[in-house]
Amino acid sequence: MDGPDVGWYLVVAAILFGIGALGVMLRRSPLIVLLSLEIMLNAANLTLIAFARQHGDISGQIFALAVMAVAAAEVAIGLGLIVAMARRGMLLDVDQASALRG
Amino acid sequence: MTITGAWVCLLAPLAGAIAITLAGTRISRRTAAYISTLTTFVAFGGALVAFLGLWATDHGDREIVSTAYTWLESGDFRVELQILLDTLSSTMMLIVSGVGGLIVWYSMGYMAGDDEERRYFAYMSLFVFSMLMLVQAGNLLLLLVGWGLVGLASYLLIGFWHHKPEAVAAAKKAFVMNAIGDATLALALVLLIWETGTLTYLGVFEDVDGLSTTTVNLVALGLLGGAVAKSAQIPLHTWLPDAMEGPTPVSALIHAATMVTAGVYLLVRASPIFEAAPDVQALAAILGAITLLVAGVIALVQWDIKRVIAYSTMSQIGYMFVAAGIGAYGYAIFHLMTHAFFKALLFMTAGVVIHHLGGEQDIRKMGGLRGLMPRTHLAFLVGALALAGIPIFSGFWSKDGIVAAALADGGALGYSLYAAALVGALLTGLYTFRLYFTVFRGEPSDFVKEHAQEDHGEGPRSMLIPVGVLSVLATIGGLVAIPGVWEPFLHWIDETVEPTVKATVTQDYATSAVAVTLGLVGFLLARRAFDAGRQLVTGPAVWRVLEHKLYVDEAYDALFFRPAAALSTALRRNVEEPLVERSLDEIGAGTLQVGGEVARAQTGLLRTYAIALAFSVVVLVVVFVAVR
Repeated sequence: MDGPDVGWYLVVAAILFGIGALGVMLRRSPLIVLLSLEIMLNAANLTLIAFARQHGDISGQIFALAVMAVAAAEVAIGLGLIVAMARRGMLLDVDQASALRG
Repeated sequence: MTITGAWVCLLAPLAGAIAITLAGTRISRRTAAYISTLTTFVAFGGALVAFLGLWATDHGDREIVSTAYTWLESGDFRVELQILLDTLSSTMMLIVSGVGGLIVWYSMGYMAGDDEERRYFAYMSLFVFSMLMLVQAGNLLLLLVGWGLVGLASYLLIGFWHHKPEAVAAAKKAFVMNAIGDATLALALVLLIWETGTLTYLGVFEDVDGLSTTTVNLVALGLLGGAVAKSAQIPLHTWLPDAMEGPTPVSALIHAATMVTAGVYLLVRASPIFEAAPDVQALAAILGAITLLVAGVIALVQWDIKRVIAYSTMSQIGYMFVAAGIGAYGYAIFHLMTHAFFKALLFMTAGVVIHHLGGEQDIRKMGGLRGLMPRTHLAFLVGALALAGIPIFSGFWSKDGIVAAALADGGALGYSLYAAALVGALLTGLYTFRLYFTVFRGEPSDFVKEHAQEDHGEGPRSMLIPVGVLSVLATIGGLVAIPGVWEPFLHWIDETVEPTVKATVTQDYATSAVAVTLGLVGFLLARRAFDAGRQLVTGPAVWRVLEHKLYVDEAYDALFFRPAAALSTALRRNVEEPLVERSLDEIGAGTLQVGGEVARAQTGLLRTYAIALAFSVVVLVVVFVAVR
């Protein structure tokens, strides 16, 4: 088999996932949070494809395609929400949007 | 043809009830009355066809079972929708539909102008159907269906004037007292199914010999309980006087002529079971004797014209119980028939009086009605003579037959019943003529002068014609069983239920002489008391006890109602409120509190959620790895 061993891919994916998770947890701008989410999803995609290649099984790749479709849908909704917030003159800060506090 | 008549008889009143109910306000009140009357007379026609057909049949074949379909089936046990036509049921059909038709017709005048006439006639038709169901049923379960339905119709009609609180209370009382009897009857049926696996009369009567004594006694007791409650015998009698709150035709039809005699019908119909349990059969006779005395005495002091007649009804049904209890079945049914004639007549003439006086029922306000209402007076006199057992009139033949049968039965029981029945004859003469003299003789009272409505005669024609017909029947209705001369009625009934006791002709006429003398003594005493302007019962203490109906209502109140009410109050205070109610409160409050605490974790901050999520995943991963 050509290319690096599957372990390397997993390491890259883990790093990407960590970056994304930290972004979601620490940043306050909704745009950045959304971007970080995308990074996490792509990290997951990377592991899927890596394993698919290792096993020579195509279903992992198909699953990755499905994840992309979901991600696209999520971005469409998320960006729509952010635009709506901006139009209403709300601060683009996720800590401010806390109306659902118990 | 014969059996078709029986089915028409059963279904015509049902069709009437359904038609009136469905038509609702689209038909006039008068139309509803016509539908009800007409269907009841159609039923009478059907009964007549069935009777004549049966008459023409050979002696051995006068027992026809007709099955419409299998109603329910469970393993070997099956109940079919079937009717039994024999000499007993055809006689009952004629009585129920004939007297019923006359009374429904009479109602047309009596109820005219009532706001809810249509509802009344629908109920009346329902009642006639239920009663026919009861007497025509081919098995005990269908009998129970009719039994329950007449109870319902009685409840609905007693409480017909639902704006009167007393009427509603009386309806409830009748229903509850009857429910006791219904329950014992149902239990007896369950026991029969358990032991014999069938409920058809013929099947049960065949199997009854093979049952243990205990079983037969229990079954007979259950049936007797039902009969006692339905026929208002002691100790389940208190509902009948209160039931007089219903319209007078209802009292005449349900609480005199037909429904209350259903108990007697059951005793006669189920006679093979009772003969297998002689102790229970004797108990029926004893209860009947006690009732006929107690009710006769109480009737001496009542002031309400309908209540006097109601107590007299209880007393006369007591006679029928005595007859059925000693095995003189033919006479029980014979007295049932003549009683239906003369008691319905008395109630209906009382209704004419009440109608004429604008709804007044207190006999203290009446008096001297003879001159104002000559025809009504005559009809009432006929009824009174028949009730008191004066010769020629119908009650004479049937009542004296029962008394003579008690004499023929002999033994301690027979002679005690004989004595009780003779005392009853004296009491009957007393209370009947006390009522007669107080209402019709003497000078018209001020109340009567004021209220007598002279402009429209004694009453509408639809009321007077049925009264006339019944007067004729009450006069000559007893001539179908003259001891030793001509007894076709008794032979007819004997074909279905063979009597176990039969008086000799000598016993019959000797008894009649004594009983008639006692009846006449009652009449004379009542007249002397009336002429002297005093009451029949003079002791104030005795009077008070009788006026309170021997305190039976009070005793039941203290024995059953108040302990039950006290128990439920105690349970409410000590169980319901502290345990059930408060635990519900606590559960609610606790949930609220926990919810309040948990809600604090809900910060509304997106990043906290993300951190919690990530942290949980880490924990889960660690746990999984550690566990593996």
